[in-house]
Amino acid sequence: MHEISVALGLLEGVETTAHEQGIDSVRAVHVRIGAMSGIVRDALLFSWDAVTADTICEGSVLRVEEVPLIVYCERCGGERAPRPGSGLLCPECSTVAPHVVRGREMELVAMEVPQ
Amino acid sequence: MSNLRVVAIARNLMLKNDAIAGRLRERFAARGTLVVNLLSSPGSGKTTLLEKTIEQLAARYAIGVLVGDQATENDAVRLRRDGVEVRQITTGAECRLDAEMIATALDNRQEERYDLLFIENVGNLICPAEYDLGEDLRVVLFAVTEGEDKPLKYPLAFNTSQVALITKTDIAAAVGYDRAAATASIRQVNPEARILELSARTGQGMDEWLALLQERISAKALAPAG
Repeated sequence: MHEISVALGLLEGVETTAHEQGIDSVRAVHVRIGAMSGIVRDALLFSWDAVTADTICEGSVLRVEEVPLIVYCERCGGERAPRPGSGLLCPECSTVAPHVVRGREMELVAMEVPQ
Repeated sequence: MSNLRVVAIARNLMLKNDAIAGRLRERFAARGTLVVNLLSSPGSGKTTLLEKTIEQLAARYAIGVLVGDQATENDAVRLRRDGVEVRQITTGAECRLDAEMIATALDNRQEERYDLLFIENVGNLICPAEYDLGEDLRVVLFAVTEGEDKPLKYPLAFNTSQVALITKTDIAAAVGYDRAAATASIRQVNPEARILELSARTGQGMDEWLALLQERISAKALAPAG
């Protein structure tokens, strides 16, 4: 359950910023999770509800933006999205494009709080 | 609708781990310790490989081992022998080791002076791949029994490793292991990985693995941090 520690990391980040800005209630939290990060969205949502009980984030919505895997293909000279299950294979020319441009994200982006 | 405002945070969740891993890396460089992080599914042969590796190298090098497991100490017990310090890190609910766990385990020791430190990660190919532990070499193992497309199912673990070890080759024929397919799927996520095939049980292929480690130990010992 990697997702529990990720959820705790998110909560810690939110609480730190909230504390700095005197915020005592959070309604929603926005995160970006890459396709290659190994995070299961439903497990993360479940974990979020569990770890936020009795915190300033209790009852808040976790909005997950899933970032697809994008690699840079040297042969094509451009960014490509490999087909699921094909590793880092360029879908255009079928060479391996080992440079991951996007898809490893695990980022806390923003929160929505009462005015 | 307008009774909410958005507060930007912009925080990479891995920053804390990566910062601790960076400090570990400096410390290992200053001490000339080669650090090897072993990743695999449960049952791919990490502990057997370590047993045999330590058996061959313990006379020549000071070796430390950190073993991550969710519950038992069985692996650590198997690895303990004269001259080799083995420390168990019981991770409980956590499915992987992180840099803080490594720093804590090492801080409890007086001035460790290892030539070689193995970190046997929790048996899991997903979560451990995310966490830099300050290692020099990340080694991913998969056994001939596991299915040749494993690298495609767990691309990050294979993509972030410098060495891919295909283990249990002594039973390769019996299980219909397809070497070309296994190699191709590793290459598909990591064209540059060094691929070695071995059987820790029979010793087949172990020489190349041991030579690789010894070469890296020498290189690390001769290159202290500037």
